[in-house]
Amino acid sequence: MNPFADLPGEINHLLTTLAGQELWGPITTYTPFIILIILLVLVAVFTAKRQLSLVPKNRYVGAIEFFVDFTRNDIGFGVLGSAAKKHIPFFLTLFIFILLANLVGIIPGSKAATGTMGTTVALTIISFVYFTYYGIKHHGLGRYMLSFAPHGVKPAPLAAFVWFLEFISMLLRLLTLSVRLFANMFAGHILLGVLAILTTLFITPLISSLSLDAAGFGVAGILWLLLLVVLYAMEIFVACVQAYVFTLLSSVYVMLATTEH
Amino acid sequence: MGALTLGGIGLGAIGFGLGAIGAGIGVGLAGLGATQAVARQPEMYSRIFTVFIMAAAMAEALGLLGFVLAFIAMAA
Repeated sequence: MNPFADLPGEINHLLTTLAGQELWGPITTYTPFIILIILLVLVAVFTAKRQLSLVPKNRYVGAIEFFVDFTRNDIGFGVLGSAAKKHIPFFLTLFIFILLANLVGIIPGSKAATGTMGTTVALTIISFVYFTYYGIKHHGLGRYMLSFAPHGVKPAPLAAFVWFLEFISMLLRLLTLSVRLFANMFAGHILLGVLAILTTLFITPLISSLSLDAAGFGVAGILWLLLLVVLYAMEIFVACVQAYVFTLLSSVYVMLATTEH
Repeated sequence: MGALTLGGIGLGAIGFGLGAIGAGIGVGLAGLGATQAVARQPEMYSRIFTVFIMAAAMAEALGLLGFVLAFIAMAA
C-alpha cells in the first residue's frame, strides 16, 4: 500500500487537462473562459456605469471605482506622470481583464484564461504594438529606432553594440511578458492540482479499509489539505500581483518608448 | 536503471532547480533593498513597492523561463 504509486499517472492526467484540448476547430477548452471573462468585464463595467454618481452609491460601485482609481494613480500617473491620461483606458482594460481571468481560474473546476500561452501572447502583442505605436508617434520612426541606445556612449562601434543589445532586449519583452503571466498561472495550478491529488490519494485508503496504516495516511492527507488551503490563499495573492505586474510593465514600456533616455 | 528511465524528468527538474537559484537570489536582493528603503523612508512606501515589484518581476522572469523549459525537456 503506497499512495505515491498512482501519483505519476494522476499528474500526467493533470498536465494533459491543463494543456487544453481542442473541442472544435480552433476552439479549445480555454476559449469558453475567455468569452466568459469578456462578458464579465462588460457586465461589470456597464452595470457600474449606470449607477455612477459623485459619491459611490453602494459597495459594488465603490469596488469598481477602487480598481479604476488604483490603476489610474498607481500604474498610470505613478509611472508616466502627467502624460498618463490618454493611456489609462488601455491599462484599465488590461488590468481588469487579466485580474478577472486569473481570479476566475482559481475557482476549482474552471480554467484560467491566462493559463494558456495563446492568451498571454495575444495580450503581449497588443501591449507591444501599443507602446511601439506611441513610441513612433512621439519620436517618428527613425528617431524611435535610434532611441534605444542611451545618450553619451562615445565610440561609435560601442554605441552601435549597445543599441543592438537594447534592441534585442526590447524584442525579448514579447517573450518575457507573455511567459511570466503564463508560467505563474500554469505553475500555480499544477501546484494546487498536485496537492489536491495527494490529498485524495492519502485519504482514499481510509475509506476502503480501516487499519492503523490507513489512519496514518489519513492524518498525512489532512496535512496535505492544510497545505493546499494555505497555497490556495497564496495563489489568490499571486493572481492579483501578476495582473498588477503585467499592467505595470506595459506602462513602463510605454514610458520608455515615449521619453528620451 | 531508475535514474535512466526518469532521465528526461530528472534532468528537467535539476535544470529548473539550478535556474531557480539565480532567480531566488535576485528576488531576495530586491526584497532586501525594498525592506531597507521602507525602513529608511516609510512615507515612500507606494513608490518603493512599485519599483520592488518591477525588479522582482525582472528577476523572476528568468526562473519562470527555466520552469517552462523544464517542461519542454520533460516532454521531449
